[in-house]
Amino acid sequence: MKFQIEDVTVYFPYDHIYPEQYAYMVELKRALDARGHCLLEMPTGTGKTIALLSLITSYTLSKPNNPVKLIYCTRTVHEMEKTLAELKLLHAYQTIHIGDRARILAVGLSSRKNLCVNSRVLAAENRDSVDASCRRLTASWVRVAAAANPNLPTCEFFEEYEKAGSNAVLPPGVYTLQDLRAYGKEKGWCPYFLARHMVQFANVVVYSYQYLLDPKVAGYISKEMQKESVVVFDEAHNIDNVCIEALSVSVRRQTLEGARRNLNKMRQEIEKFKATDAGRLRAEYNRLVEGLAQRGNLPFTDNWLSNPALPDDILKEAVPGNIRRAEHFLHVLRRLVQYLEGRLETDNVEKEGPVGFVASINTHAGIDQKTLKFCYDRLHSLMLTLEITDTDEFLHIQTICDFATLVGTYTRGFSIIIEPFDERMPHIPDPVLQLSCHDASLAIKPVFDRFQSVVITSGTLSPIDLYPRLLNFHPVVSRSFTMSLTRDCICPMVLTRGSDQLPVSTKFDMRSDLGVVRNYGRLLLEMASVVPDGIVCFFVSYSYMDGIVNSWNENGILKEIMQHKLVFIETQDVVETTLALDNYRKACDCGRGAIFFSVARGKVAEGIDFDRHYGRLVIMFGVPFQYTLSKILLARLEYLRDTFQIKEGDFLTFDALRQAAQCVGRVIRSKADYGMMIFADKRYSRHDKRSKLPGWILSHLRDAHLNLSTDMALHIAREFLRKMAQPYDRAGGSGRKTLLSQEDVEKMGDGILNEMQY
Amino acid sequence: MASGHVIKRAKYKTSPKGAGTPGVLKMTENKIMFKPNDPTSASKIDVEFRSIKGYKNTKEGSNNPPLLNLSLEQGGSYIFEFENFLDLQVCREFVGNALTKSGDAAKAKSGDTAKAKSGEAVATSDRSTVTYPDEQLISSAEMELRIKLLRENSELQNLHKKFVLGNILTESEFWATRKKLLDGDSGTKSKQRVGFKSSMILDIKPMTDGRTNKVTFNLTPEIKYQIFALKPAVHRAFLNHVPNKMTEKDFWTKYFRAEYLHSTKNAVAAAAEAAEDEELAIFLKDDDILANAARQKIRRVDPTLDMEADQGDDYMHLPDHGIFRDGSKEITDSQHEQFKRTFLQDLNRQGEVVLEGRTIDVELEDPRTVAEALAQSRQESDENAKQERLDRISRMTEMEDLQAPHDHPLAPLCIKDPRDYFDSQLLKISDDTRAGSEQLRCSLSSEEAYGSLRGSISEIKAMGLSDPVVRPEVAVMVLNGLTQNISSTKFQLGKNAQESILNSLPNTTKEELLHHWISIQELLRHFWSSYPITTSYLYAKVSRVKDAMSKIYPQLEVTNVLLRKNISM
Repeated sequence: MKFQIEDVTVYFPYDHIYPEQYAYMVELKRALDARGHCLLEMPTGTGKTIALLSLITSYTLSKPNNPVKLIYCTRTVHEMEKTLAELKLLHAYQTIHIGDRARILAVGLSSRKNLCVNSRVLAAENRDSVDASCRRLTASWVRVAAAANPNLPTCEFFEEYEKAGSNAVLPPGVYTLQDLRAYGKEKGWCPYFLARHMVQFANVVVYSYQYLLDPKVAGYISKEMQKESVVVFDEAHNIDNVCIEALSVSVRRQTLEGARRNLNKMRQEIEKFKATDAGRLRAEYNRLVEGLAQRGNLPFTDNWLSNPALPDDILKEAVPGNIRRAEHFLHVLRRLVQYLEGRLETDNVEKEGPVGFVASINTHAGIDQKTLKFCYDRLHSLMLTLEITDTDEFLHIQTICDFATLVGTYTRGFSIIIEPFDERMPHIPDPVLQLSCHDASLAIKPVFDRFQSVVITSGTLSPIDLYPRLLNFHPVVSRSFTMSLTRDCICPMVLTRGSDQLPVSTKFDMRSDLGVVRNYGRLLLEMASVVPDGIVCFFVSYSYMDGIVNSWNENGILKEIMQHKLVFIETQDVVETTLALDNYRKACDCGRGAIFFSVARGKVAEGIDFDRHYGRLVIMFGVPFQYTLSKILLARLEYLRDTFQIKEGDFLTFDALRQAAQCVGRVIRSKADYGMMIFADKRYSRHDKRSKLPGWILSHLRDAHLNLSTDMALHIAREFLRKMAQPYDRAGGSGRKTLLSQEDVEKMGDGILNEMQY
Repeated sequence: MASGHVIKRAKYKTSPKGAGTPGVLKMTENKIMFKPNDPTSASKIDVEFRSIKGYKNTKEGSNNPPLLNLSLEQGGSYIFEFENFLDLQVCREFVGNALTKSGDAAKAKSGDTAKAKSGEAVATSDRSTVTYPDEQLISSAEMELRIKLLRENSELQNLHKKFVLGNILTESEFWATRKKLLDGDSGTKSKQRVGFKSSMILDIKPMTDGRTNKVTFNLTPEIKYQIFALKPAVHRAFLNHVPNKMTEKDFWTKYFRAEYLHSTKNAVAAAAEAAEDEELAIFLKDDDILANAARQKIRRVDPTLDMEADQGDDYMHLPDHGIFRDGSKEITDSQHEQFKRTFLQDLNRQGEVVLEGRTIDVELEDPRTVAEALAQSRQESDENAKQERLDRISRMTEMEDLQAPHDHPLAPLCIKDPRDYFDSQLLKISDDTRAGSEQLRCSLSSEEAYGSLRGSISEIKAMGLSDPVVRPEVAVMVLNGLTQNISSTKFQLGKNAQESILNSLPNTTKEELLHHWISIQELLRHFWSSYPITTSYLYAKVSRVKDAMSKIYPQLEVTNVLLRKNISM
C-alpha cells in the first residue's frame, strides 16, 4: 500500500498496516526531519523492522537531492539476515510501483568467517584463524612474493577481484550474506573484500553493533561513512552492555604467558631482519618519526583491528622517541608484562582507578602514560614491518597493548579490578586483572556526534527515560507505543505458589529448596500436558538450570515431562545449541512438541524468536538478577550512582526485568500469533518489580492473574488456549480498528497517532 | 545350510512344562528325526517336513527356556527344548527354510493325496489335464512373506485354509488377487514405524541389590540399538572391536563402567581411568563422529537461528576482551573438559535421535547385524535441504496478517459440541460420496430426463460419438460413490454398533454370517476375474468357484431358518 505522511510518500509492502506501525513511522519521520536522535519502544510482534525500513527508504526516495544512507545495526547475524530478507521484500514492492527509481544497493557485512568462499581458508576453526589464513594468502607482501615465485599460494578469489579493479562492483539490489557468497562464487571475486568496498556506496548497510560501537572494528570499517546517515540500533535494550564490553579488557595468567611467547618470537624476527634486511627497520623508524599518519595508505588487506581507544581520544602526534626503535619497544612491553605478572600475584581483591594504576606503572616499570597510549599503534606498525601474517598467534600481545592503550588514554569511567580467584570457587586460584568500563556513553558518544540521526529501538526500553541518562544523549523524540490487539493474544501470568500453596522463588535462600524445585517441575509437567507444540523455559543462570534439570531427573519429573514433549537444552557450546534449536523447531513442525530450556541473558534469549507454534508458552523461572557479588557490577553500580544518580536497587531491578521481558517477548511475532507468559516467582507480584515491565505486557496482566498457584494457572491456560483456537476477525471488528487498509489510513490521518501512545 | 542337515542335542516334550526326554534331533532337507538317548523310550519321531504346519519359538531374553514348537498339519505338536538359544537359533532357521522350500509343493501334494484317498477321482483327473501357470516359480522370500501375512491376518488365514486347502482355489490363484499385499515389502514398509521413546536415555538405569556394591544393567536388543543410535562412537567401537578384540560381554561391561564414571561426575577420576585404558577412553571422550556431524549439520541449519555465525562476527569474543568475570559466565575446569560430557548434552542428543526416528528395519536379536545395518543407513543421509532452508527464511520474514490471507483449502475448525461436530462430518462425507450420482438423479423430472436423453441421442446420431458419453469427472465420481459404499458395507454392518441389524443377531450367527460374507466376496472376486473364459483352465476354475458358492447358499438358508425359529420362539 501507498500513503502520505506529511510530505513523504511511504511505500509499504503489505495490503494492511497496524495503527502502531503508522504511528511509529510518523514519529520516526519527525526525528529525521529534525535531524536528531530518537528513542522508540514498540512491542515485539508489531513489525518494527519493516515499518522502519519502509519509512527510511521512502524518505530517501522523496528527497532525492539529499539522500540519506541507512546504517542498520543488528545484534546477531541471523537478525541481519532477517532484516535483509524483509528489505528484499520491500525493495521488490517498491520496484514494481516506481520502477528503476527505487533501485538501491543494500549489503550485509560480516567477518571473513561468514563471507569467505575460499575452501582452504574456511577450513580454519574460528574467526581469528580464518582471518589469519586469509591474511596469509592476501597480505601485500605475500602477494609481492607470490608474483616472483608462482609456487606460493594466493587466494584466487582475491586475485580475480583485484584484477577486475574498479569494475568489481555489485549491481544494485539487496544482498544477504548468502547472496554475497553466491555472487562472489559466480564471479570468482572475493565477497568479503567486495562487500567491504561496496559499503561506502551502498544505500543500506546492515551489520553488527560492534562495527560502529567497538572502536577497534569501527576504526577500519565504519571510518568513511558520511554524516548524512541514519543509524539504527535494533533490539537495543542491551546497548549499554555492548558499549561497556567494547571498552573492557581482562588479562589472565594465560594471556601474560602467551604475550611472553609472542615477544620472544618477535625478538627472533627482529634479529633475522637485522641480519638480512636492516633497511626495513630503519625505514619504519623514519616513518614513526613523522607520525603514524600513513596508516591510511595501507593496502586494503593489511588492515586489522585498529586502536581500541575512540578516535577522538587518539592524539595526532608522533610516537614517543623511546619506543620508535623496535628493540626498545619490545623492552617496554617486556617490562609491562612483568609488572602485570607482579600485580596478579595478590591474595586480595584490589580495585584502582586508571590514574593511580598508570602512576604505579610509571614508578615500578618506568613506563609513562604517553608511551602506554601509543602501545597499540606501535605494535601494529611493528607487526606490519615484520610481515607477520599469522595474527591469530599474536592475540595475547595484542590484548596487552589494548589494555595499555586504554589505560593510558582514559582517566575516568574505568576501574581496574584484580581478583585472585572467582568468588564462587575460592579454592581454584585463577587471578585476573580486569580493566572494566562503567560508562556506556563513552563508546556510543562518537556515533551520536558523527551521524545526523541515531534511532534506538526495541520491544523493551522501559523505563524509557533511563536510556538517555545511561547513554548520555538528548533524543528529539522519545516514545513508547502500545499494541492494538484484535483479541487478547498474550496472556501474562504471575505464578507465586506451587500446587502445594508454598511460595516459589529463585531467591538465594530458597533456590536450593527441594520443594521449590519440585513445584517448578510440577508446573512444567502440568503445562506440558495442556499446551500444544512448543514451550520455552528460561532459567536465571546456566548453573541453576543444570542443577534443576539434574534434580528433576533424579526425582522422575523429567521422565514424566518427556512423555509429553521432547526436551532440548541450551548449552554453552554454540554449535550444539544451534543444532538443539534446529531440532526443537523440527519437533514443533512435525507435531511431536518440544520444550526448550534456555538461560536469561544467554545467546538464545538475546536473539531467537519462538513465534507461532515454536512457542505457545514461556515460563520464566525466577527473576534474572545479575550476580550481585560480582566486583565489576558493584563498581559499575557505584559509578552509576555517583555520576548519573541512578540508585543501585533501581538499576538492578531495571536490568533484571528488561531481561525477563526480553525473554517472554520472544513468543509473539504478529497479531495472528498468540502465546502465554508465566513469571514463576513470588517476587513478580510485588509492585516495584512488576511495574518495570514494559507497558504492553502490563496492560494485559490482569489483577486476577497476579497471585496464582499452579492449578489456577493451569485452568487459565486451558481457557486461554480454547479461546485462541476460535476463528476471529483480523480487522478488529467493531470499535477500535487494529488493522488499517489504505483508505483507513487516508481517512484517519493523525487520529491514529494520539490513540497509539501511552 | 550347506551340509543340508542339522544335528543338535534336545529334549522332546509333549507340553512346555513337562520334563521331556533327552535325545538327539536330526533334521535333513525334508525330514525331522528324534532319537531319544534311552533307546527303550517310546518317543521316537520320524516325520516329514510337509506334515509340519508351522513353528513357534521362545524369544531370547525372556524367562522361558529355549523351546521350539513344531505344529503338525493333523493337529498336535512336537516341542523341543534346546540346550541354549544358539542351538535354537540354528534349528529355527533350518526349519524355516525347509518349510519354505517344501511349503507350497508339499501343501499341493498333501491336498492331492488327501483327495486321492477320499476317492474323488473326478477332481484329480480334472486337475491333471489342467496346466498351472507358474505354480512352482515362487521365490523363498515371497513364500516367507506369504506365511508372514497369513500369520498376521487371521481372516486371511481362514480364507486360505478354506479355499486353498479345500481345493477350490490354487495357491497362486489365491495370491494373485492379493498382489498388493505381496508387492515387494510395501505391505510391511508402508506401515507406520514405531519410533523411539522420548525418555529412552532415562530408561537405562542400573539396579543395585542393596547389599553389595555391585550394580546390574539389564540389556535388551532394543537398548543396545538405542545406544548405537545415540552414540556413534560406541557404535564404531563395537564394529571395530567385537568380536575380534573383545567379546560382546566385555564390550558392554566396559561401556557401562564408563557410564558409571560419568554418572559420578568426577572428571578427574574419569581422566585417570581413561589414561590407563584406551578402550575405556573411547567411551569417556567426546564423540568425535558427533562433533563432525555437527559441523556438517551446522551448515544446513536455518539461518534465522544460526548462532554460530554470530560467533564468527562478534569481535567481542576475542579472548580476553569484554567483561570476563561478572558472574554471567560459568567457570569450567578446562583441563578435563573432554571427559565432562554433560547430562544436558545427552538430552539434546537423544531428542535428535528420537526425531530422526528408527532408520533400520531389522530384527533386533543380534547386535552385530543391528550395528551393521545402522552403519549402512547412516551413509545414506542426503543433502538437499538447502532450498528448503531458503524457503523457510522468506516464509519467516513475512507478516502473515498484514496481507491477504493465503488460500488454504481448509474449513475453519469450530468445535462447540464434539458430538454435533463429528456427526455432521460423517454426514458430510457420505453426502460427498453420493453427491455425484444423486445430483444427476434427483434434479430432473422424468420428462426432462427423457427429453435430454432423446436430445443427446439425436446429437450423437448427428455428430457421432466424438466426445465420451459421460464426462470423465462425473464418471469417476459415480464410480467412487458406488464402490466406496461397497467397500464400506462391511464396516457399516459389522462395526457401526447402533444401527446394524447384525447386532440383533446372536453372536455365533453373526460371526457365521460375516464369515460367509467374506468367503462369498473372495469367491466372487475370483469368479469375475476369470471372465472372459478363454481357456479350459479358467473354465475349470469358474466351475469350481461356482460349486463352492452354491454350497454356501444352502448353509445360509439353514441359518435363516434357524434364526426365524429362534425369533419366533
